[in-house]
Formats: sequence, structure tokens, C-alpha cells
Amino acid sequence: MYFVAKVKEDECAKYNCKQCVLFCPEPNCINFLEKKSTAWVWPDKCKGCEICVYVCSDLLKRNCIEMVMVQAGD
Amino acid sequence: MGLEYVKIAPGFEKYMPRDYVDLVKMGQFGRQVDVMDLGQFKELVEDHPMCAGCYMAYFIRIFYASLPNPEDTIVLGTAGCARLALSQAAVPFIYGNYGDTNAVASGLKRALTIRFPDKHKDVVVIAGDGGLMDIGFGMTMHSWFRREKFTTIMVDNEVYGNTGGQESGMSPKGVQLKMAPKGKQFDKINAVELAKVSGCVYVARISPTNPKRIAKVIRRAILAARHFGPTFIHAYTSCNIEYSIPTREVLADARNREKKDFKFYEWMTDEVKEYFEEMEKKEVKA
Repeated sequence: MYFVAKVKEDECAKYNCKQCVLFCPEPNCINFLEKKSTAWVWPDKCKGCEICVYVCSDLLKRNCIEMVMVQAGD
Repeated sequence: MGLEYVKIAPGFEKYMPRDYVDLVKMGQFGRQVDVMDLGQFKELVEDHPMCAGCYMAYFIRIFYASLPNPEDTIVLGTAGCARLALSQAAVPFIYGNYGDTNAVASGLKRALTIRFPDKHKDVVVIAGDGGLMDIGFGMTMHSWFRREKFTTIMVDNEVYGNTGGQESGMSPKGVQLKMAPKGKQFDKINAVELAKVSGCVYVARISPTNPKRIAKVIRRAILAARHFGPTFIHAYTSCNIEYSIPTREVLADARNREKKDFKFYEWMTDEVKEYFEEMEKKEVKA
């Protein structure tokens, strides 16, 4: 059981900002889907540091990323 | 090294791991990527065992995304945190003994210049403050005195993070650490000024708050090292474990330090400046 980031895709698609992708320390962990213009998280790679949440909620006040608990193998 | 080395031999595509196929088809080899397109291509660096929220790992991620020619680059590292991520990338990596990275890089660069006289092979040293300014100090300085043509990047976390938190020459004065209970008694070494007087042709100090700027500085340092002489980047990459920074505040800390002692600073000699101005003019025309 561990914490990972999850993007609320409907909310995220309203903006075309990509800032969370640019500030994540893990390679290819948060990616950007151009078709839907939304970011998405690869849960296997996420270490749960919440830097993306800081960027999205504290800096930009957009609140599109939340932390969720996942089970191993989800 | 070289593009031929990277390509998958015909008939073997279906047996290669998914990550490797992605790297060849959607990676950075053979094309220039923009660092602002991160998250839309396969990055050179893979999953690494560095701590959650480590901004050294972030700097290394941006470093690999901004290499001008990843297929013609060799990265050198030494003991310390940085090598944990550096060794997980699709770029040849050499692990020096503690402190001898710049001596190894000098020999390597000279050998590559003789072996490939018609090509630019970039040699980049990335090591921590301990590897370059404490234990490797002599070899770092002498590589600059000899004007060896390669890039040195210091990822400065201001502590020996791997071994439990001893103070380093780069720790700020007065800071209390696990293995420095009385607080550090001496000032932080001014690495940027040392590099300037020792013969570096391009020197920069940066805090990782702006990916576009990091990429620009790294590209400039590598391109200047091809033609003119040694280049040096001093990057602030906080240690959130030893300095007890909550992972969510790591970027806030980097922004905070940028306002104080890690203000962005860039210095280059006149000939390097001329070279970049000419290059930018050509880019605008194209």
C-alpha cells in the first residue's frame, strides 16, 4: 500500500500547462497526452513526493492532482 | 558510441525489451528535443534508486534531456548520490575512484580527440561537492589549469548525503548536521570564483527552478567546452533527507535559495560570448 499522484484528467484538460511534468524528479513518471491535452501519471514510477501537487495546487492554484492510496499490483 | 551502436539489429525488434524499443523509436537519439517537450518522448535516464523528491535527480533528468548529442557523449561520475541516477541512463557512464573524475576525463578527452579527429565527442563530469571541491579538489583544479576541453558540473547538496550527513566544504557556515553537531565553523567555498581564476571559459551558478534555463546553461557549457576550454556549472541540488526538507517543499526551497545565495549567474570570456552570439544569429535565420 503506498501513495501515488493521480491527475484529475477532466480538470487538467481545461488548462494546457504541463508544469507538473517539467518539475517531477522521476523520468517519464508524469507524461503528457497531447490528444486530450492532459497530464497522466505512471503509478509504477511514482515515489509520492508531492512536488507535482505543490506545483499544481500551491503555485498555480489549479488543484488538478491528488494523492491516492494504491495497493501493490493495482 | 555513435548512432549505429544504438540501433536494433534487423530481426531482433520483437525480442528487445519494451523500454529499449521505446528509447530507439521515441527517444532522443539522432534528433534535437526541446526540454519543454518532456513527458512526450522517452527519456535517456530510466527509473533510479534516488530518494523521493530528490532535486539532484531532477537536475540529472533535465541534464539528460538537454544534451546536444547524447550518442556522442560520455558521462563521468564518482562516489556519491549522483552516480545512482547517472548509471541508469542510456549514455556511457564511467565511475571514477573518489575524486579522480577530472583526471580520468582529461585523459579520455585527449584520447577521443586523437581517435575521432573529425568529430566532437563530449565528455561531461557530474559529481557532488565532495567529489569535486573536497576530495577531488586537486585534480579538479589542475584539469582547469591545463585547460582541458570538457565540462564539469557540480551538483551541490551541501553535505555528504550518502554517508550520514558529514559537513563538506560547500556546507554553509553555521549549519548543524547529524555528523557536525557544533555547526560548521568555516565559510562555504566560493567555487564559481575559483573556476573563473583557474582558467574556465564558461562558468554558471544555477538553482533548478526553471527547466528551460537549466537546459540552456548545460548546452552552452558543453558547446563552449568543444572549442575553447574547461567549463563549469555550479548547481544547487538540495538534500531533502539531511536538511530535513519535506518533499513537497523541495521546489519552494530551491526558489527560496535562488533569491538568496544561489542567484542565477553566468560568466564567459569574450571569445565564447562572440561564438554564442554568432550561433544565435544563425539559429534566428534558420
